[in-house]
Amino acid sequence: MSAPSPTVGNTPVSAFDVVGDVTVRIEDVVDRDSLEEMCRSIQTLFGINVRVYSAQGALLVNVASDLDVCTLVNEVSAGRLACGTTVSAAKSVDPGDDGDVVHACYTGLAYRIVSLDYEGRRIGRIVLGPYAPAGLRDAPPSLERTVTKLDIFQANDRLSQVARVKPEALARIARHLKTTLELIIFSSHKAFVTSKLHLYSVRESYRALEEKTARLEQALAKLKELDRLKSNFLGTVSHELRTPLTSIIGYSEMLAEGIAGPLSEEQSEFVKTIHGKGEQLLGLIMGLLDLSKLDSGTMSLRQASTQIAPVLKEVVSTLAPVALKKQVELTLESDNVACELSGDAERLRQVFLNLVENALKFTPRGGKVTLRTRVLDGVGGPSDDDDDDAGSVLLAPMRREVEVTVSDTGIGIPSSERTRVFDAFYQVDSSSTREYGGTGLGLSIVKRIVDAHGGTVTIEGNDPAGTVFVVRLPSAQARRTLPSRVPPPAGS
Amino acid sequence: MQLNFAAREVAIKLVYYGPALSGKTTNLKALHELVREGSRGRLMTLETKDDRTLFFDMLPLVFKAETDAGSMSLRVKVFTVPGQVVHSSTRRLVLQGADGIVFVADSQTAETENNAESFLDLRANLKELGRSLSKMPMVIQFNKRDLPNVRTDDEIDDLARRGKEPVYKACAMRGEGVLECFFGLLDRSWQRLDAEHDLKAKLGLGPAAFLEMAAASLGHAGKAAALSAACVGGQRPGGPAT
Repeated sequence: MSAPSPTVGNTPVSAFDVVGDVTVRIEDVVDRDSLEEMCRSIQTLFGINVRVYSAQGALLVNVASDLDVCTLVNEVSAGRLACGTTVSAAKSVDPGDDGDVVHACYTGLAYRIVSLDYEGRRIGRIVLGPYAPAGLRDAPPSLERTVTKLDIFQANDRLSQVARVKPEALARIARHLKTTLELIIFSSHKAFVTSKLHLYSVRESYRALEEKTARLEQALAKLKELDRLKSNFLGTVSHELRTPLTSIIGYSEMLAEGIAGPLSEEQSEFVKTIHGKGEQLLGLIMGLLDLSKLDSGTMSLRQASTQIAPVLKEVVSTLAPVALKKQVELTLESDNVACELSGDAERLRQVFLNLVENALKFTPRGGKVTLRTRVLDGVGGPSDDDDDDAGSVLLAPMRREVEVTVSDTGIGIPSSERTRVFDAFYQVDSSSTREYGGTGLGLSIVKRIVDAHGGTVTIEGNDPAGTVFVVRLPSAQARRTLPSRVPPPAGS
Repeated sequence: MQLNFAAREVAIKLVYYGPALSGKTTNLKALHELVREGSRGRLMTLETKDDRTLFFDMLPLVFKAETDAGSMSLRVKVFTVPGQVVHSSTRRLVLQGADGIVFVADSQTAETENNAESFLDLRANLKELGRSLSKMPMVIQFNKRDLPNVRTDDEIDDLARRGKEPVYKACAMRGEGVLECFFGLLDRSWQRLDAEHDLKAKLGLGPAAFLEMAAASLGHAGKAAALSAACVGGQRPGGPAT
């Protein structure tokens, strides 16, 4: 918080104060006039003076009218002096652990002092009196002794006019006043804290909103520019490349079918090659389009409750002819893993189609490509002193995942290259392009789609030769919503 | 912790954290009911119209302790945080200066995700305050044990034994498990403070004595150790798992 802290009284109050352990001051939380009004009602009701002091001894409320006997003794200088001493003693006497004490006056009258407590701390005191205790008849000897020039008969007469109060009755009054005051202090403190926090939370929200707006404005400008570039690019690719290519494919197909007259065996072979390469080129362009959609974040995802088993079955049956042709054994193990995923089945099919196609491509004749699935529960035992282990009781169920591995017995990927193969157009050995074909787009598309599903894809070595692609996808319980589109890579 | 030698006062702050509607306020209300009147202040609840906690609840517990070094005043302020996701800044504010945390989780299996999310929120908030979960005394409470569709005792026990934090089971609505959990945290928090600030030497009050004294003041004399130990899992600092 950068704004200066507001002040109450002379004390600066920060939001932290209200959640810390700061002593509450009556003068900070209670309205002085209302407090006085309440004390006055007590005085009117029982005829007893009420004074309220803060913990520091400041007089906060003074509802008092002088008794006739007090006026009388105050007319004499010795009486005035003694009265002052008594009043200041009553003001500062310790009400003890019980918080309730009687302080006697030399006139025979008395004061009752009750502590005000809040959250276990003394925050002030109430002084009731002077009043005449129930048993009081005549002035005690201390009056004559202290104020020698006083007319004692007159003093006794005035003393007799003061209403007598039984100690139990006064205790009840004191208790009532104390409880009421403490309640008022509590409610006022509560209101004080609430307003403090309202202020704090408004300020925090404002700050957060400002930050967010700035970020959004920046992002918007960037996106607009990107959007324009991507649209141009997409338009160029689809129009400039696909249109002539379609003609090439179409005409070569017609030639191969002999529509323009019979072809020799050699001519027919050449035309079929043109047709085949044309289809390959179209595949590349479609891959580029996919990648460009991924980059611009326009590849849509349709979230649905999905099981992994049917997706893999379909992939295997699609690619079985390719495997057969290449004489590579393609198998799907543990195909009945039941764990609900929340994902786009079509995109997931694309992921595994790419991975298996890739594996088949790099596996020599007589090799093996195997798909395996299993469910991981993701609970690690308590180990080192690390935040990541904390709360596993709560977090473990969120870490349920489905793991699919695609292992082959092909040429393998050196460990130093394993993170780079997911970059677009990257191939471990550019010479392999010539030997095995391919554009190097497939794996980057795979990674983007898996990332969008909140999953991970990693590469491990397959002993003694080959590669294992490990795809982990969170269960439906762990991941609530899929983004509606595959998010563009960070930084774009 | 605030230690005021002049006033012979120690104030510690405990915070009940957890997802919305997991029963943090109910815990505090139950705690208020279960402790002796003389040792508790008023429960301050800052709530909105629909009874959801807007900012926080706070219950002050205050008691005197006779130690070897004389009389001390011990103040325990117990706070809850607002559970709703939007009140993140308030949660961070309330967490400031906390000496221990009870994480109140909802036992219903449907709440698993909310529990986890709230826990990660706690971790992130602590990090932002420059504090680490691994150094924060903490206990986990699985509340609402009386409801149907809850994670079973066996499941919780199993997870608890593998986790780090002691786990208490509770039904705060009926006041069950509330004291156990509170004393469990008070115990661990004081042990941590004692280790960090050498309170035994400074105040003449050891952890076991402190806990027993607190229990006695709160009206549960002689039960402190048993209450604190009524949990599953949790590796005690310097000792084997209980």
